[in-house]
Amino acid sequence: MIRPIMTFVATTVLVLSAAELIAHDEFRIIGTVTKRQETAINVKTKEGKTISIALNKQTLISRDKKKVNSTELKTGHYVVVDALGDSEADLLALEVRLVPPPGAAAAPK
Amino acid sequence: MTTDKDLQPQELPSARKLAQASGIALLVATGVLVTVVLPAEYGVDPLGTGATLGLVALSTASAPEAVEAPAGVALVPVQDGAVSHYPAAFNFDSRQFVLGPYEFVEYKYHLQRGASMFFSWTTSSDVVHDFHGDPDGAQSGSSQSFDKQPRRRADGGFTAPFSGIHGWFWENPGGETITVKVTTAGFYTAAHEFRYDGTRQPRQIRALDTLAVSDNEKESAQ
Repeated sequence: MIRPIMTFVATTVLVLSAAELIAHDEFRIIGTVTKRQETAINVKTKEGKTISIALNKQTLISRDKKKVNSTELKTGHYVVVDALGDSEADLLALEVRLVPPPGAAAAPK
Repeated sequence: MTTDKDLQPQELPSARKLAQASGIALLVATGVLVTVVLPAEYGVDPLGTGATLGLVALSTASAPEAVEAPAGVALVPVQDGAVSHYPAAFNFDSRQFVLGPYEFVEYKYHLQRGASMFFSWTTSSDVVHDFHGDPDGAQSGSSQSFDKQPRRRADGGFTAPFSGIHGWFWENPGGETITVKVTTAGFYTAAHEFRYDGTRQPRQIRALDTLAVSDNEKESAQ
């Protein structure tokens, strides 16, 4: 009897989670990368807030409107992150743009 | 006390039973999805359960651009030859937005189908812009673009092709702070501001009777 119940619970969670994945608001986070991990980055905004944003295989990393390798995203870079989530505490990056920091002339190389 | 019976492995359910349980789980999950999740998250309410349970309002609150039609007199035009008549006077508005590096703002008015407005906007530097509209009750991603040609200013008139919110997306593409100024007059009934950080605020529009009237006698005496 336990197995059918577990199957029921697992399937329910799976279907509802799939729906949740596409049910989020859009956020733009602008700032400096302070921590770079394989599946997340921390970005410090101009207001001094540090926001953690998840990355996945679909996250586009770009510079000058061109896709670049994800290894080019490093600590210290100034970035514009367009992300989806319920709040700033729960964000998944759709695109991370490497941009020049305010006042600078060119994107980081 | 442990007996031999306790130590015997339990019989595994048959493939048929597993398939049956999975099918029931899928049905229940789909039921929850259709009756609760879709109305609450997207305002999609095929069975009417969202309206009954008050879940549709949740989707309006979370969708970044979905805005309910404002209460009060709907400024719907009635065409009479070359003239459009409205049930009330037009409104006007003037705003200035300061956009830090890479920030964006959306500013939109609610207009009924066929209602008109005039506008002028200018920016202090290059800007990415998109003049567009979102129909009432539509979900995110259903907006219609009217103009996104590169420009630093625009002066024009607009007649809404559908009832909904219509206005501009302005994005600062560079590393310097820029300013956008917009002035409008028209038969709109509400204004909304959406910022890059996910915040949204209704903005006050001005009624025609708040406009100072020029004094002919004073003007003649000068």
